[in-house]
Order: sequence, then structure tokens, then C-alpha cells
Amino acid sequence: MSRVVAVAARELGAALDAPAVRTATLVLAVVLCALFFHIGYPIGELRSGGLWEVRTTNTLAVVFAWLPILLALFVPALTMGSWSDERRSGTEDLLFARPVRAGEVVIGKFAAGLVLLAILLTVALLPLIATAAYLGPVDWSAAFGGVLGALLLGAGYLAIGQLISACAREPLSAFVVAALVLIVSWSPMLLVGHFSGALADGLLYASPAYHYLETAARGLFDLRDFLFHGLLAAGALHLCSLVVEARRWR
Amino acid sequence: MIEVRGLTKHYGALCAVDHLDFSIERGEVVGFLGPNGAGKSTTMRMLTGCLAPDTGDVSIGGVRDPARSTAARARIGYLPENAPLYRAMRVDRYLDFCARLVGITRRERPRALFAAAESVGLETHVGRRIDELSKGYRQRVGLAQALLGDPQVLILDEPTSGLDPGEIQRIRALVRDLGRSRTVLLSTHVLSEIEEVCGRVLILACGRLVADGHPRDLVEGGGATLTLEVRLDRMSGTAGALAQRLERVADVASVRTAGDRPDGIAAFALELGSAAPALRRAAAERVVREVAAAGASLIELRHEAPTLERVFLQRTDPSFAAAHAVAAKSPTGVAP
Repeated sequence: MSRVVAVAARELGAALDAPAVRTATLVLAVVLCALFFHIGYPIGELRSGGLWEVRTTNTLAVVFAWLPILLALFVPALTMGSWSDERRSGTEDLLFARPVRAGEVVIGKFAAGLVLLAILLTVALLPLIATAAYLGPVDWSAAFGGVLGALLLGAGYLAIGQLISACAREPLSAFVVAALVLIVSWSPMLLVGHFSGALADGLLYASPAYHYLETAARGLFDLRDFLFHGLLAAGALHLCSLVVEARRWR
Repeated sequence: MIEVRGLTKHYGALCAVDHLDFSIERGEVVGFLGPNGAGKSTTMRMLTGCLAPDTGDVSIGGVRDPARSTAARARIGYLPENAPLYRAMRVDRYLDFCARLVGITRRERPRALFAAAESVGLETHVGRRIDELSKGYRQRVGLAQALLGDPQVLILDEPTSGLDPGEIQRIRALVRDLGRSRTVLLSTHVLSEIEEVCGRVLILACGRLVADGHPRDLVEGGGATLTLEVRLDRMSGTAGALAQRLERVADVASVRTAGDRPDGIAAFALELGSAAPALRRAAAERVVREVAAAGASLIELRHEAPTLERVFLQRTDPSFAAAHAVAAKSPTGVAP
């Protein structure tokens, strides 16, 4: 456990020290505000109302509706270097020669990513929640659910991002592939309201974004969604530790 | 302390390490020599568990398979080639991170960090970022992290490459010092380093072990060259005839005519089978007698000092070995 914490602390320190991460946080905050105040809903249809609709309370659903697609771009920026940089700089060997298991390093990196994501979401969402609260009564359970759900959604994204970084040679290719995979995983949301049937439902159910937007983003808590995100993250992390461990046998 | 049996590693079709066998005892400082691409780094990476062998066994302090066993890896301190480090970190934070990975407790850590930093002369630089340090100091950081946790085995891949002479001397002294209580395997291209620091040398070529022994034994077993210049006259016959006589002298492995001028001055290079001082002197005496008996007058006789470089080239460079056709085998050598 102390090794996991050591890796997490090092990763977090390195990330907070990196200008790229600070820029990404700032960009996410600005983009989210711009989308929230000027554009409204993303493509596709949600079954819930937004801030600008005539309602008695503000739900921030518009903000949360943008989060899956935005995180699909930002999370790969956080994870792209997590293994490909180690490989490029040769520091991978220093980790491999230590009495540490690949799984411990993978979980440490994931934990650091989760803390970083929590910071990033706080910085990006706090001004919006404050604005909504200033404009009128806020549906706090929906706001809380939306933030917590976003963190859960981000956990799955982080695990997938790390897995792809472990497979990639270069950070840039890790970013491109991870962003592509996450956008494709979000894309079934485009089907909502346009298509129906078992295939469309199946695709929707496989999309992590669906398990966020349909419940947590609306302030609903469903154990099955927790399970979905949890299993997705655990599966991707397990696969990642296998990929990393397999590098010894290359 | 280190046991290697039948170690083999392929990269695709390329065989990087080919059935390597050796063992290193506690307290030995062993130099790992070989041309670029001979498989030194690959072997070291297999010893540290960074790489798993295709076939063969590695055991460290009696614990097998460092690629799978964290207990085996816990016994090793490793400095990879070019000392890769997290350059954006401060030295003390980096060493603290390494100490935590090795499993040093929070209470023990400050002392362990100070001891490691002090032993490589890094005490005054612990508060600086690694990317602000000179190459020599970065190398010291790499060495300090290898020393954390007091490992029984140190594996150092070119610890002195790219350093200035003062730093090289310091690191050599440190390695000698460390070798008193630990097992050290270090690779280098600097042959004088091996002679200065190591009690034993392993020479690799094309992934195979081609020599294993004490540097002095290898040097003496590697043969020596005796060059002589003589004046020939009508009585003594041609240079070719003298070369044939010299070839029959005991301990002379081969004779090459290096010059045959019209004014009667001829030069010969004689390869001796052994470079042991007593044998060299005896062979030289016999050669001088033979020259006199042939009626030629000796102008110059010179020993080419036997060096580890010569042994290295003989064992690893086929063109050198062909030009200096001395038996490549020796009592301490391993048949290629």
C-alpha cells in the first residue's frame, strides 16, 4: 500500500508541476463556461430539462451534459504520458527493477489521476455552480450527483487512458487513440431520440456516458451505474497491469 | 550471490544473449566488457528483472527469477545506462520516492537518504532539481538511488560514461569501496577501469561469454608481441630464411616479416603464446640467441606491453584476432 501511495504522490506532484496540466485545467474551466452560457445542450437529446428552461430550480444539467465529451478529450491529455513517457525516458527500467508489482504502479498512477481529475472538476464546476446558485435555487442533489458521477465517469476514462498509454510508444499517439476511443464510446448518445430497438439500446447501455447522463447527471443514484463505472475502471486497470508486466517478456 | 545458467534472449531474429553461464560470489567486483551490441545491457536487464529471459535461469542471493520475484529484486541496486531519472523532481524527493519503493520505513528514511547521498558526495545538492544538475551529479543521483535499501548486489551499467576525470576517479573509488561488502557487476568501455577496480572480468561478444578471469591472468594468457629489427648480410641469408628459423623457437606462435629493406635491415613481429613475464623474457633470450646463431646482428628488440585492450580485441574482433594469430584459448579463457 505504501508503494501505491508513493507512486501516487510522485505522479500527482509531477502533474501539478507540469504547465500542460495547469493549462488543461484552465482550458476546461473556460470551455465549460463558454458552452454553458452560450451554446446550451450538446448534440443529441437529453430527457431532462436544463438551466435555461422554465423550471423552479436550477439543475446544471447543461453543464453535465457537456462533461462526457469534454472529459473524453481532457482525460487522455492527463494520461497520455503515464507509461509512454516512462518508456521514452527509460525510467520504466527503474520501476521494473524495484521490488514493486506492475499493479501497484498502475493503481498509484490511477489514484493520482483521480485526485487530479477531482481538482480539475472542482476548478471547472465551482464557478458554474456558484453562478447557478446566485441566479436562483439550485437542485443540490442533482448538482452533487452530477459532480460525483462525473468523477466516476472520469475514473473509467482514466483507466482506459492509462491502458492505451501503456500500449503506445509515444504520448501523442496515446492521446489521439484514447481520445478517439472515448469519443466513440460517447457517440451512442447521438442515437438517443433518433433510433430505437435492441441494437440502439445495447450500444447505449455499453456507453459510459449513458450511465452518467441518464442518472447521476440528473441527481439520480443507481447502483448499477456505480457498478458499471467501477467494473470498467477495474477491468481496464487490470488489463493495463497485464500489459505493463508483459513488457518484461518483450 | 549471482547465478546465471543458460541465459538466452532473442529480439526477433536477433540473438542478443546466447546461453550465458556464470556465477559471481559475494564481495566480488566484476567488470563486464564487450563491444557495443554484445549483450551487456540486455544481460544486466535480465539480472535486474527488467527483462525476462527466453530461456535460462537467474538467481540473486539464492532467490530465482527476478522478473517474477520481488524478493529477488529487493536484493538488487541497479543503475541503468545513461542514468534515467525523473528530471523534474528534486533530488531529495526523488530519493525519498525510491526509498519508499524499496520499502524503507518512514522513520528510517531520512537516515537512509542522507547515507546514500553522502556516499556519492551529493549532500550539498539534495535540494536542487535533477534537470539543473550536471551530468556527473545526475550520475551520482542514479548511483545514490541504487544504494538505497543497502542491496547486496549492485548492477551498474556504464557508471562512469561521459564523466570528467575527477568524477570518474571518485566513482571508481566508491565502487571499490562498495565492493568490499557487496557484489558489484559493472559494465564499461574503459579498459583501464576494469584493471583498476575489478578483481574479475567477463568479456562478452555477440551474446556469448568469450573470457572470464582475473584481468592480469587474461592479459598474460592473451599473448604478447616481440618486435625485432636486425641487420642481415650475405652470411646470414634472407629475411625469409631467418623468419623460418625464428618460427622454430620455443614459445613463438607465429612470425610476421614486417620489413625487408634492400640495405639488409629486416623487421619481424613475433607473437608469443603467453605474456607471463618469465616466459616472455625466456623467449626473448632464445630469439636473441637464434638471431646471433643465424649470423645476423640485432639492432632493436622490443616487447609490446601486454594489455587488456589486446585481450579484448583478440576475443571480440575477428579481424584483430586474424592479424595477431595467437591461440585465442588460454587456461583462464572460455572457448568461444
